Amino acid sequence: MDVSGLLASTSKGRSTEVNKDVPLVVDTGLLAVFDPNDIEPEEYSADQEAYLLSVARDGVQALVNALFSLPVQKTADGPLAILPSIETPLPRAKPLPKPKPPTKWEQFAKARGIQKTKREKKVWDEEKQDWVDRWGRKGKNKEIEEQWITEVPANAPDDYDPVKEARDKRKSRVAKNEKQRAANQARAMGPSATAASTSTGLKDSNAWDALSKDDKKGMLRRDALRAKVSTASMGKFDKKLEGEPKLRGIKRKFDPNEGNVESEKSAALALLSKLERNPISSTASAKRPRKDAAGGEGSGENVLNVRKAVRYATKGKGATAFASRDRGRGGKAGRGKGKR
Amino acid sequence: MRPLTEDESKLVFTKLANYIGKNLVHLIDRPDEVYCFRLHKDRVYYVPERAMRLAASVARPNLISLGTCFGKFSKSGKFKLHITALDYLAQYAKYKVWIKPNGEMPFLYGNHVVKAHLGRITEDTPEHQGVVVFSMNDTPLGFGVTARSTLDTRKLDPTAIIVFHQADVGEYLRDEETLF
Repeated sequence: MDVSGLLASTSKGRSTEVNKDVPLVVDTGLLAVFDPNDIEPEEYSADQEAYLLSVARDGVQALVNALFSLPVQKTADGPLAILPSIETPLPRAKPLPKPKPPTKWEQFAKARGIQKTKREKKVWDEEKQDWVDRWGRKGKNKEIEEQWITEVPANAPDDYDPVKEARDKRKSRVAKNEKQRAANQARAMGPSATAASTSTGLKDSNAWDALSKDDKKGMLRRDALRAKVSTASMGKFDKKLEGEPKLRGIKRKFDPNEGNVESEKSAALALLSKLERNPISSTASAKRPRKDAAGGEGSGENVLNVRKAVRYATKGKGATAFASRDRGRGGKAGRGKGKR
Repeated sequence: MRPLTEDESKLVFTKLANYIGKNLVHLIDRPDEVYCFRLHKDRVYYVPERAMRLAASVARPNLISLGTCFGKFSKSGKFKLHITALDYLAQYAKYKVWIKPNGEMPFLYGNHVVKAHLGRITEDTPEHQGVVVFSMNDTPLGFGVTARSTLDTRKLDPTAIIVFHQADVGEYLRDEETLF
């Protein structure tokens, strides 16, 4: 079959070679071609569609040329070109991470101009003549507590445990560092970190972070329990989960019935003398008139109940009615007594 | 049955002190026998120690009453004196009111004491003071709270209330089932 005529008709005037003033930028990984050439103004205005089509065709041709020059892998579906990784830098999807707020030490070091020096994980051990870990298993920081014999100070108590002493010291350093880390974190979080702490009634996040893990756990548990019973039926008719523990309140504890009656008597007498000394504050339910009456009793002849007298005089409106009445009647006369 | 807690004792003592004042010491510190206050089913009992120890051997649901019932704690936690405490209140009362024979029956039916029925009253009784009500032949009839001080009563008309009724011996019949 002679296809030379057909080939000649399809390929007339246009070759597979793409020649541009500025070479096209082909990113085969992205299957994209960028044409940095300027637009020809005359051709563009003469026939816009035809011009754009020809530019696009050149671009696609260049891409196809590039694709065919790629290494090929043979598969059951036919040959597949292996695309290289993309070259065009793409804009990042997420914003740049914010710089970490400096820790307290970093602030201090900056102010003093202290340079950060990298601390190596290994340190030289003179005795072993070897590099050992600074911390971790068989670390240098456990040297004292792991040595087989320890010098005991002369004034040490009988139950002095040098290993425990050294270990406690080391643990306290760890705890201190952890506390400082938490404080730094809290400072970095700023006022937005109060969400968790507001429920527990803590004013600032520092206080929340300063709490131990157990305290926090307890607080959150208590909050959760309180929230659980904050329903219309105080949690009584709510659905219970399987295996949910029963809520237990504080158990009341009373004195034994058949205890020492004499001590009970003396306690009662002590309470009585306390009541006599301070009758008003000790009785929350003590009525105010009683106070007036007691005052009247003490002074002897003054038995006038001032509160009641005011009530009668103002027909139940109270003492402020005096002032307003005087103002209404006498103008300036009553102002001295009135509300200011 | 158990001893009162401190808060409960406070409530009971302040209520009693309203009627008998400092004589309350005589209730606690008795020369003859050791007495104590015990709470049983919301009720406060004034019991000799010996009786209390005997009553301790009775099972709680079976124990109806012991000693003298002084009153009960309401559900809202207030202490209310019962008429059964009248014997001790009358004995040590600081302020007393005597009512005329024609006022006895109205008072025993649960009414307040009006001025017309007032026979005698302790001098210098302040307002809202707990008083024990006696008949003219010194039989205690009940107790209540004064509406006015002694001086104020002079000016009042005969139908004015002098003592607000709180408890009277008529309750032994009216509230027989809940009293003790």
